[in-house]
Amino acid sequence: MSLAPTHDQADSAAAKTRGITRRQALGAAVATGVGVGVVRLLGGSMQHIAAPRTGTTTDWISPLKTESARVMHLLRRTSFGHTPAQLDAALSDGFNKTIDRLIETAPAEPPTLAAANAPGGRFPIAQLQQWWIDHMFSTSTPFAERMTLFWHGHFTSDYRKAADDTFMYWQNLTWRRMAMTDLRSMLLQVTVDPAMLRYLDLATSTGQSPNENYSRELMELFTMGAGNYTESDVREGAKALAGWQVPQPDATATVVVDAKNNVTRKLPVYSGQKSGVFNPRRAYKGSVTFLGKTGQLDTQGVIDRILAQPTTAPLIANKVAQSFVTARPSPAYVKNLGDTFRRSKYDMKTLMRAIFTGPEFVADQSYRSLVKSPTEFMVHAGRALGVSSFSKLVAGHGSGMGQTLFDPPDVNGWPNNEAWISSNTVVERVNFVTAALGQVKSSLPPASDAIHRHLDGVLSPQTASLLNQAADDRARWFIALASPEFQLK
Amino acid sequence: MNKEAGINQLKRRDFLKAGLVFGAGASGLAAGYAAVPDAFARAVYAAKKEGMTNENILVMIQLAGGNDGLRTLVPLADPSLHDLRPKLAGPMVSQALPLNSQYGLNHNLGGIKGLWDKGKVAIVQGVGYSNPTFSHFESIRIWETGDPSRRQVDGWLGRTLATNYDSNGHPLTGCACGATDAPGALRDLQATLTVIQNQKTFGFTGGTEVEAAVGALYKATPGIYGALFDTAIATATETMATLRTSASTYHPMADYTDQVKLVYSSKNQLAAALQLAAELIVTGTGVKLLHVTLGGFDTHYTELNRHDDLMGYLDSAVSAFYKDLAAHNMADKVLIATWSEFGRRPKENASGGTDHGAAAPLLLIGDPVNGGLYGAEPSLTSLDNTGNLKYSVDFRSVYQEILSGHLGADAPKILGSSFDRIPFLKAPVVV
Repeated sequence: MSLAPTHDQADSAAAKTRGITRRQALGAAVATGVGVGVVRLLGGSMQHIAAPRTGTTTDWISPLKTESARVMHLLRRTSFGHTPAQLDAALSDGFNKTIDRLIETAPAEPPTLAAANAPGGRFPIAQLQQWWIDHMFSTSTPFAERMTLFWHGHFTSDYRKAADDTFMYWQNLTWRRMAMTDLRSMLLQVTVDPAMLRYLDLATSTGQSPNENYSRELMELFTMGAGNYTESDVREGAKALAGWQVPQPDATATVVVDAKNNVTRKLPVYSGQKSGVFNPRRAYKGSVTFLGKTGQLDTQGVIDRILAQPTTAPLIANKVAQSFVTARPSPAYVKNLGDTFRRSKYDMKTLMRAIFTGPEFVADQSYRSLVKSPTEFMVHAGRALGVSSFSKLVAGHGSGMGQTLFDPPDVNGWPNNEAWISSNTVVERVNFVTAALGQVKSSLPPASDAIHRHLDGVLSPQTASLLNQAADDRARWFIALASPEFQLK
Repeated sequence: MNKEAGINQLKRRDFLKAGLVFGAGASGLAAGYAAVPDAFARAVYAAKKEGMTNENILVMIQLAGGNDGLRTLVPLADPSLHDLRPKLAGPMVSQALPLNSQYGLNHNLGGIKGLWDKGKVAIVQGVGYSNPTFSHFESIRIWETGDPSRRQVDGWLGRTLATNYDSNGHPLTGCACGATDAPGALRDLQATLTVIQNQKTFGFTGGTEVEAAVGALYKATPGIYGALFDTAIATATETMATLRTSASTYHPMADYTDQVKLVYSSKNQLAAALQLAAELIVTGTGVKLLHVTLGGFDTHYTELNRHDDLMGYLDSAVSAFYKDLAAHNMADKVLIATWSEFGRRPKENASGGTDHGAAAPLLLIGDPVNGGLYGAEPSLTSLDNTGNLKYSVDFRSVYQEILSGHLGADAPKILGSSFDRIPFLKAPVVV
C-alpha cells in the first residue's frame, strides 16, 4: 500500500482569501456523508469525502442532529463500536429503542474458562485477558462488557496482588452480573469479593489490629471522595469491616511450582465460584463512631452510612459522565445526575438511562469529546475490519497504550481521556493498526464503511486529503483507523 | 516551521484552553495538563532567554505507593521501634547497614551504602508537609505540583521546563522513561516532553512510510484533543530520530539485569528505565529532567519480604545507573533523587504491614551531593494525632535546593515562595 501523501496542502492565507473556513469545509463533509439516512450512508463515494482545506483549527462539526449519527455515537460509547450487522439493527431500531435495548437486555454470560480450575488460580493471566476480549468481540450484549470494564476500572483490583487468577476471573463474572443493579448490593459484593479482599487487604484485617486499606479506598475512591470523611472515620470503618476472609477451598492439590528444584506446594482448589466468609472471631467487638453515628456496626451498616452521605451519588455520577458523556461534566449536570441516582435508591439503570437520554449526551459539544480507551479502540477496530479472532493481538498491545486488563496502574484504576494521549501511546495505537491490518489477509470491507459507518463522514482536512490520495482500500483503512477521528468517541 | 505557523499554533493553544473549559467552568484546564505542539513551543521559547543555565541533569525516582522510611533509614538505637513494630522491627534493625551509631540503611541497599561511604549520598530526614493527607492521589498531586494548598495544576518539573529551558524543538529536554503517560511532575501546558515506555519497541512498526503518513495525518487536528494529539505525534517522531542516533553510539558500562524479579507491581521496569535515561544522558541528547517510577510501595501487608525486595531492586538499578554514568564520565552532572507521596505508619498492622503515614527520608545520590544526614530525625515517641511521624523539613526545601543549587533555576519563581535551605549539594550553583 502507498501511504505517502502528495504535497498539495494549501496554506492558511490562501484558504482565507478564498473565504473558505475549515468549518465550512467540514460542514460539506457532513453533507456528503451521514445525515441523510442509511441508504445514502452506504452509497458514499470515496472521491467526495470532503473538500480538503486548511485553515485555523476549530472543533469537529457535530452531526448529532441526525438519527443515524446519534446511533453510531451511542454504539461507540456503549458497545465498543459495532459490526455492520449491529449497526444495521440499531439503525433500524433507532436511537431511543436502542437505548432501551442496551439498558434492559440482561448480560450474556461469557463461556466458562476451563483454565480457571487450575489449583491456586495459577494459570497465565493472558488466558484470562484473551477470554474476556474474545467475549467483547462475540457477545450479543456488548454494553454489559462496556459496563464491566467501567466497574473494573472503578472497583479495581490487579492480578499481581490478588495472587490468584481464578479470583480475578470470579471478580469479572461478578462485576458483569452486578453491573446494572444498584450501588448498595454492588458494594456488598465488592466488599466480600475474594480478589478485592486480597487487593485491599481486608482479608488480613482484624478487629484487634485493623488494616485501613479497604476502609480508606471504599470511601475515597469507591463512594464519597477525598475530603468528605475524617482519618478517624477511616480507622473506625476499618474496625467495623474487619472479619472477612477469602473463602475456604474445597480441597487442596499438590502442585510442582519449581520443576528444576522439585519444589511442590499445596494449593487451594474450589469446586465453583465463592465469595468471602465472615469470621466473627476476627471481627471487632465494641462500638464504633463512623460518619457521625456511634454504635455496633457491621458491613451492611458501614455501607448504609456511606450511602447516606451526600457526596456518594455525585462521585459515581461524575465518573459515569466522564466515561460516557464529556471529559468535563459541569457541576450542575453532575448534581442533576446524582440527585436522580440517589432518588432511585442508587439504581444503575436509572442513572444510565438519564445519561443516554439527557440533552448533554447528544449536545454538539459532546461529539468526539472523549478519547477511546485502548481496549475500546482496539475492539472497535477489530469489529470494523470484521475480524473475530483478534484477542491475542488486542491483549498484547494494551500495555504500550497504557491499559492492561486485570492490571490497572493503581487503586484508582485507569485514567481517562487526555491521559490516554502521550508520545508513547499514540505510536502504539498506530502500531496496533499496522499489526491488525497485517493479520487480515483476506479482502477488507469497503473503505467507505470506515468513513461513513465509523467516522460519520466527519473528517479533518488532513484525513480527508490523505484518504482521497490513498492508492487502495488497505491504505484507506490504515488512515481511517490510525486517524485522530477514530481515537475519539 | 516558519514563524507564521508558530503564531497559528499559538491560537491553537488558546483554543485548546477554551476547548477544555467547555462544560466545566473555571476548573476546565485544571486536569488538562495538555502539552503544546512543538511548533508552538518554538514560538514561545524563541522569546525566552537563551538556553539552559548549566549542563546539569536531574533524575527523579518515584517510589509509588508510599515508601516506608523507617525501613529505608532504620533507627537502630530507638527501643520504641520494637514496641511499635513487634513483627517488623527485629530483622530490620539487626540486618541494617550502619551509617553511624543511630542509623543504618536497609540491608538490601548495599550498593547505595557503598556510595554513601564515598560521600555521594545525602539523606534528608523527616520530609513532609503540614496537615498531611493520607490519600495516595491527593498526596501525589501535592508532591507533583509542589503545592499543599492544591491550587497549582502544573507539575514542578513541568514549570521548570517551561520557565528555564529553551527546548528549541527538541522535546527530549523532559522525558518520562518507562511510562506510558506523562507523570504529573513533568506536566505543564507550555512544556514539551517525551514519554517512552520501552526504548526497544519505541518506533513505528510500519516503517518510514507510516511515519510520514501519520505525520501528515496529525496536523491541525480539530477538537479539544487536537493539539495534544499533534504534539504527541510530532514529539514521538522527533524523539525516534534522536534515539536512532543515540542507540548506535551508546554502550552500557554496567549490568542492568533485574535480579529480584518483582511481580507485585506493573511499574517494575526501573532498571530498564534508568538504562534508557543513561543512554539519553551519555549520548548528549540534551535531556535535562528525567522521571522514572518504581511501584509497589503500598505495603499494607507482609511488608517484610516485599519491602526488602523493593529496596534490593532500587539498589541494583541505581547502582548500575551510577556506575554507567561514572564510566561515561557523566556522574558529575547528574543528581538522582527519590520521592514518595508519604511514609508509613510507625505502628504495624495485623497483616504484617503498615498503613499510610506521613514524614519520611529522601535519598539524594550522585557526585554533586555533599554526603551525610540532613534534617531533624523524627521522634518515634512524639507522634502526631494520627499516630504518624511529624515532619521537620518541608519537601519544597528539597525541591528548592535541587532547582537553584543543581539546575541553577529560579526556585522561588517556580515554587511560588522561598523555603529553608538544606545544603546537601557540594557546590550549589545559586545559593
